[in-house]
Amino acid sequence: MVLDPAHGGTDPGARGTGGIRESEIVLDFAAQVRRALESQGFQVVQTRQGNEDPSFDDRSALANAQSGAVFVTLHIASTGLPGTARVYVNSDLPVAADLAGLISWDRAQTPFQGLSRRLGNLVQGLLAQRFKGSPSTAQTAAVRQLRTTAAPAIAVEISSVVVENRADLDRMGPGVADAIATGIAAFRPSYVVPTTSGGTP
Amino acid sequence: MARWIRWVVGILCVLVIVGAIYFPILRRRLRAAAKLQQQTAEQARRELTQVDPGEPRIKAKLFWASGNGDGTLMDSTVELPLSSDPVLRSKQVLNTLLAGPVDADLRTLPPDAVLLALYLLPNGTAIADFSEPLATATPSGIQSEQMAVDSITRTLEANVPKVQRLKILIHGQEVETLAGHLDLTGTFLVNTKGTLVAPVATAPVVTPPTPPNAEKPAAPAPTADKPAAAPATKPSSPKRV
Repeated sequence: MVLDPAHGGTDPGARGTGGIRESEIVLDFAAQVRRALESQGFQVVQTRQGNEDPSFDDRSALANAQSGAVFVTLHIASTGLPGTARVYVNSDLPVAADLAGLISWDRAQTPFQGLSRRLGNLVQGLLAQRFKGSPSTAQTAAVRQLRTTAAPAIAVEISSVVVENRADLDRMGPGVADAIATGIAAFRPSYVVPTTSGGTP
Repeated sequence: MARWIRWVVGILCVLVIVGAIYFPILRRRLRAAAKLQQQTAEQARRELTQVDPGEPRIKAKLFWASGNGDGTLMDSTVELPLSSDPVLRSKQVLNTLLAGPVDADLRTLPPDAVLLALYLLPNGTAIADFSEPLATATPSGIQSEQMAVDSITRTLEANVPKVQRLKILIHGQEVETLAGHLDLTGTFLVNTKGTLVAPVATAPVVTPPTPPNAEKPAAPAPTADKPAAAPATKPSSPKRV
């Protein structure tokens, strides 16, 4: 399991008028998601532990370096109904395999899109049970972080940094962590790593 | 006073003098650069508000926020003098979109953002060059950035049939993301019949394990009557973990 608390370092991500910074909250959320996943028996790697800002590619590389990984990037939105959470999967890209059947690094998500969608729908369904007003299925967006990730990959975005009190967001932490961990545990039995034809001898 | 101290003091004095001379020049240059940028934006605004009185007023469909707070868009019909030229027409609708709806809360694009240029390639790809505020003033987030792009692509789709795809540039440059999340390195499908812009059907699909492909068959050439984006990517040779 690769957990990605988005932004960090000089990039604070979304900022609320009350001084809430996306980069700080996602780090706290990541710690809770990590505990929930570890209690389900998953091995968890984080793309950042503190206030650093690895590149999109470096974050993806952590998942791409191992077979059978799952990637979850955590975000806090600037918009949306406060108290809701959405899961995004990458937009359907045209297949871009070359003649040898290899997928280029910058389109690494392509063979995993079906799996990502299945995982996204599982997690979104669980989030919708916990946070009223959230959609019932995963949405599609051209999320940069997901494009280069060669694993089932989802972005979870929580609304929003505009809440007056940070406690309103902090209260969502346990529910988000539980939904992600339960969703991934439910996804596990159906996870079959796709390989591109011709990619392996 | 030691000799080396005299040298250091001397060098510092020279540096201060050089700095004092150079500072006003630097300030002048900065001001000139800012003015130039302002002029480009103003020129773009003027060009886009120039209306040929002979152009017929047509009901254009523009997409702003629905106001539900859930990231959805709502179309509004606005009567505009629209050119029959696809490039001019794209500029006209996008400028109206940038000007924003009557209710400012329903804006999808920052008020300071300006469309600097728009080109249409023969293959139907429109290249829209926006000023920096589009990247710096769009609220950071997947939902907000997706809404901004969706409002542009859906407005183009509804009013300029020639535009098939859209590439977004910021001040003439390709940028990695709009405001930290949404990928701007590729092109967005415009004429999709809803493939990219509307939420894709999400009924759970049970995929039976497919037999490993011994030989990859040659991909069938896309035919004109088949939309290229329709077939889902099918992972081959599944491997159980």
